[in-house]
Amino acid sequence: MTFTRVIAAAALCAATTVPLVAHHSAAMFDDEKVVELSGTIKEMQWTNPHIWIQVIVDNNGQKTEWSVEGGSPNTLSRNGWRSTTFKFGDAVTVRVNPMKDGTAAGQFIGAKFKDTGKTIGRWE
Amino acid sequence: MRTALLAAAACVIAIGVAAGQASKPAPAALPDWSGVWQMIGPTVFDRASVQPQNGRAGDVGVREFPPYTEEYEAIYRKNIERIKAGTFPDPISVCGVPHGFPRIMNVPDVYEFAVTPAATYVLAENGPGVLRIYTDGRKHPPAEELWGTYTGASVGHWEGDTLVFETLGLKGSRDNDEIVDRTGLVLSDKSRVTTRLRKMNDTTLEAVMVIEDAKALKAPWKVTKQYRKMPAGTWAWDYGCAENNRNPISGSGKTLTIGPNGKPLDKNVE
Repeated sequence: MTFTRVIAAAALCAATTVPLVAHHSAAMFDDEKVVELSGTIKEMQWTNPHIWIQVIVDNNGQKTEWSVEGGSPNTLSRNGWRSTTFKFGDAVTVRVNPMKDGTAAGQFIGAKFKDTGKTIGRWE
Repeated sequence: MRTALLAAAACVIAIGVAAGQASKPAPAALPDWSGVWQMIGPTVFDRASVQPQNGRAGDVGVREFPPYTEEYEAIYRKNIERIKAGTFPDPISVCGVPHGFPRIMNVPDVYEFAVTPAATYVLAENGPGVLRIYTDGRKHPPAEELWGTYTGASVGHWEGDTLVFETLGLKGSRDNDEIVDRTGLVLSDKSRVTTRLRKMNDTTLEAVMVIEDAKALKAPWKVTKQYRKMPAGTWAWDYGCAENNRNPISGSGKTLTIGPNGKPLDKNVE
């Protein structure tokens, strides 16, 4: 089963305060809230000024595509990321600071791959 | 033959002097600032005065305390209100304009500092970001030949291992397309900056900037930025900001998010 849920743990919120956005105002994101997306990867756009991870979330048959924004590939590559880090079909759990207006997009915090248990980003 | 060579050398010297060059030769051994560097700390320009301490640029309620004139304090406060309302866009979001100076000394990602006898180049990966500092003995262009640009005109000289340079011809916030940081800091087109750039030790570079601005500041404003050397072999990369910019700015100044269908996801686009 895949789903979306909101994590309200204060400790986790505090852990999300390192900004990933370097090119524009982050006013659209709610950094007090963490949403956990469980789904599959449609695509990772390994591009400047930000990478984008497109995640398909299936809520009891209703599919929603989330747009998850990360840092620049330049900085991420220096921190161990690769253009192949997320591949089509990967089953993942992704944590984001969602957009304040409730739309299906957010700022990347961390992710866990379901088949290997490996994590990337901040996953406390 | 010898006479011809001497004549040629004299000619080269004469041309150099005529062009105003080589009046201050660089030291025999220029400092080694090779490698890739990263600014220490977040992108708050003046970390010494930011409130609350450790506040992040762009977060609501975060501000610095430059010695602003009343006029520019009012502008800053207005910008802070716009941040609160989510309508203070970063001008670089459009991926077309440089950060400008002094903001180029305050950007994320990494830097390279290319030192040559005739000029030093500050290359900011997050860009477009190039600061050219001429050290070939030239003077600044006369006022009638200068116009306000994002990065201005920088002329410097070496004092030992310290590069001292003055930057003027800056446009500042005149056209509303340049800021100093995302707390809403701006300077005017009267700003000029004297910077002392030096290597403090093997892993730290320091830039001490003294900013004067007859319109925006009541007194000189001193700001220090430091840069940490990255591990040997670190790469700096191309930064094509327009490659996939999914964050355009709305008419009201709101930063939008483009969805997978190429249209804004935002519920309220005005």
